[in-house]
Amino acid sequence: MLEPRSATRPAVLVAEDLVMHFAGRRSMADALRRRPAAPVQAVAGVSFQVSPGEVLAIVGESGCGKTTTANLLMGLLTPTAGRVVLDGRPVGGRSRAELASMRREMQMIFQDPYESLNPRMRIADVVAEPLRVHHVATSPADEAERVARALTRAGLAPAEVYLHRYPFELSGGQRQRVVVASALALEPRVLIADEPVSMLDVSIRAEILNLLRGLATEQGIAVVMITHDLSTVAAYADRIAVMYLGRIVETGHARRILADPQHPYTRALLSVVPVPDPSARRRPQVLAGETPDPARVPSGCRFHTRCPVAIERCRTIDPALVTVGDDHAAACLLVTPSGAPGVPPAARRG
Amino acid sequence: MTAVVQATAPIVTGMVQSGFLVRLVRRPMGAIGLGMLVIAVVVAVLAPVLAPYDPDANVHVGIEDVYQTPSAAHLLGTDDGGNDVLSALIFGARVSLVVGFAASLMTILIGGTIGLVAGYRGGWLSTVLMRFTDFVLVIPDLALQIVIVAILGPSLLNIILVIGGLGWTSTARLVRSQTLSVRERMFVTRARAIGAGDLHIVWRHVLPQILPLMLATMVLAVSLAILAESSLAFIGLGDPTVISWGQMLNFAFSLGAVSAGAWWALLPPGFAIVWVVLGTTLLGTALEDVLNPRLKRHHLERDRSVRVAEPEGMGWLRVEPVRADAPLLRVRGLTVEFDSPAGPLRAVHDASFELRRGETLGLVGESACGKTTTVLGLLRLLPPGGRVTAGQVLFDGEDLMALPERDLRAVRGKRLAIVFQGAMNALNPVRRVGDQVAEVIRIHEPEVGARVADRRARVLLERVGIGGGRYADYPHQYSGGMRQRAMIAMALACRPDVIVADEPTTALDVMIQAQILELLAGLAREFGMATILVTHDLGVVAQVCDRVVVMYGGRVVEDAPTLRLFADPQHPYTRLLLASFPDLLHPERPLQSIPGSPPRLDAMPPGCPFAPRCPAAFDRCSTVKPPAYDLGDGRRAACLLVEPGHRAPEPIHA
Repeated sequence: MLEPRSATRPAVLVAEDLVMHFAGRRSMADALRRRPAAPVQAVAGVSFQVSPGEVLAIVGESGCGKTTTANLLMGLLTPTAGRVVLDGRPVGGRSRAELASMRREMQMIFQDPYESLNPRMRIADVVAEPLRVHHVATSPADEAERVARALTRAGLAPAEVYLHRYPFELSGGQRQRVVVASALALEPRVLIADEPVSMLDVSIRAEILNLLRGLATEQGIAVVMITHDLSTVAAYADRIAVMYLGRIVETGHARRILADPQHPYTRALLSVVPVPDPSARRRPQVLAGETPDPARVPSGCRFHTRCPVAIERCRTIDPALVTVGDDHAAACLLVTPSGAPGVPPAARRG
Repeated sequence: MTAVVQATAPIVTGMVQSGFLVRLVRRPMGAIGLGMLVIAVVVAVLAPVLAPYDPDANVHVGIEDVYQTPSAAHLLGTDDGGNDVLSALIFGARVSLVVGFAASLMTILIGGTIGLVAGYRGGWLSTVLMRFTDFVLVIPDLALQIVIVAILGPSLLNIILVIGGLGWTSTARLVRSQTLSVRERMFVTRARAIGAGDLHIVWRHVLPQILPLMLATMVLAVSLAILAESSLAFIGLGDPTVISWGQMLNFAFSLGAVSAGAWWALLPPGFAIVWVVLGTTLLGTALEDVLNPRLKRHHLERDRSVRVAEPEGMGWLRVEPVRADAPLLRVRGLTVEFDSPAGPLRAVHDASFELRRGETLGLVGESACGKTTTVLGLLRLLPPGGRVTAGQVLFDGEDLMALPERDLRAVRGKRLAIVFQGAMNALNPVRRVGDQVAEVIRIHEPEVGARVADRRARVLLERVGIGGGRYADYPHQYSGGMRQRAMIAMALACRPDVIVADEPTTALDVMIQAQILELLAGLAREFGMATILVTHDLGVVAQVCDRVVVMYGGRVVEDAPTLRLFADPQHPYTRLLLASFPDLLHPERPLQSIPGSPPRLDAMPPGCPFAPRCPAAFDRCSTVKPPAYDLGDGRRAACLLVEPGHRAPEPIHA
């Protein structure tokens, strides 16, 4: 049912080997010795693509670079290396006007619907704002029509009920729908959703996730969902990219990864997700310590310092993503590339 | 605390948005200030009608007209020129108010623009603008005003320009700091992501947020400008062609009013100045109060307003024999209310549950359903304005609600410890973490020396996974997970019988969450502690809790052992909550959401609080508040569907 769509439809958004380094902070001693600051490698070579109608989830813990990746996609940051290609045209290095037109194609949905709506603007103005900024509407009537259409698409129908309200008059779920409606006003082809439900009550998360899923499936919008929550990904994403310390360590078809994770990090991450079933009390594989400082990335495989199955070679060799199955790749020395015979014993543990 | 803030936030915002003027006038300061100012403005506007004499009509002045005592013809006597003081006072209002408002408008325009640009743009421009502001700020205002007016000539326009041109510095600094904080807010980032330009963002997003503050500042600036004009006029630098209150004082002083004993020439203008300055100050202060409500006091501040009403009838029967199998903590009928302008709001209603030794109890529900308020209430740590109005909390047989504050402090922390959600806020940012842990030990066991406390603190931190190398670090050097570990170490410091953890892992990553939960469970086993876990995460509850209490609308709606609750939920709310929670092991199960939102405290439904959202509600649900029915097997549910003798009704479909 959920076969990868990339094979059938050409990608609308492509990230090609994105790298983002931030200037690190120098200690006083280093500054005195004129030693340069170690750069913070927030994103260290990330590639993926999204097709129309597809939901790609970028999953990882804080500090893994997923939000930086989102900002790179949106053109809010300029990558140190690599590029973002939207509809065959690179995003980076565009003129202001081109950047503006790019933004019409790609819109962002933010995490916190309580914070991302201006409390003093009416809903009609919130949704109309992108139209006004980009001078899209040809007349006030056209603007009103576009606003009503966006609200309806976001599930706020009839639109007239909401137009003259203020954000505080709406529930959390309705507010997030307004954020979605405002992103839809320009009829974008790509939506970047940064933790779209993490600030919402569990009881209303499903409605927003169903909305985003529907926008992809029914209206062909490509959705990139940035999240730390694997259980929502399980139900709503077509494909997953698991990030650790600025790299994608495993990517592929969502259900397949959940059923048969290959990278030790993905396995540990899946094992600690609390499952709402007391009869299935699991044995979580809790990793010790925390994600290392991205200014001091470990040598070799970046995960080897916390990896329960690391071997000697992991200290020195930085593994690349290798295909381990149909639309499934993992960056680990212990995985078996598809087609290769035999299974290394260490990879099957856990 | 979070739950309380979330519950009251829509109400507060609502009032700011709608009845702003009403709220302003409801404050005595606001009403009086506004009234005083309105009177002054009306007098100024209607001067030609109100004044008994035309101030310019003093054609024939005789020596006998000068400094006449107040009489029926001249209610406030006459001045040095034989003019009616009352008329001068009334016409003087025009000049003083024009100077006041014009100059303060100027300060707002200059200061506001500089503050806005410096705050929004930042960088070198901000540095230049703010250093310039500092430079202007250190110049003694009055001295410079005197010099400039003396050079330019004392015309009314010059006076306004000088006062306005020098008085904008504090406005600029205020506006800048406000702009800085608004600039960081998410809706500004969102506007940037939409592709909006700076001008658009400042105009539509930043300015509306700081306008109220600017209004309050402007009103206060009016009084400063009027004072400045009076001072200038008093030392002879007022515009000689018009009459202002300062000018009246100047003439009276310099032309012998004091030696003539003519108090009526001096007191009225002085009084008028005080009147307007007092009025604007009162109004400005009230405006600030209404527009920046700093209601958020920290929830750890001691609650002085605890007033406990004994539950009707049997409250004196408090002494309970302690048996081994008796619950360690027994909450009975706990009811918490908060003050609001509309009267007391009930946040927790008749909550009852029990906790046994070594047990882990989950307190679950959506936000604003009363979970946090319940635990703060049972520890008597409610924020100001909140109080326990009924109920008992029996801890080892002792009623915490009836305990004097002194004895309660010994229980709190020592036997009942709490771990808060925002660990960063609960740690003192300027003190070393290790010292803060040692301090807790010394507070509860003063006989322990500094060295011993220090050593114990190290052991404790090590036990929660923080190595000795981090003992002397400050909280900001810790990650979120380490701060939460430090908080747990502090809670452990006195070997409590019960740990209350309020959303201990909510802001943490899933791996760190697993570490913290593993730590808490291990400690509970090791020390035989009981745990109350406040959370909205049903996955966490399923994995670690022995018993679950589900809350909705401030009431306990279901209470059951964890296995039974998940296998066979009785209350429709519990059922829907479970259906909304994603399950990694069953991604094919479609998730539902619960339509609508939890009831607001000021708009509780008359019957069952869940009735408006309940798919199984029938007619009686909107009128009857269901009590908690005992279902046997340690299960209770507050729903008419489980009422004994209830026959399945026809459900009402929305």
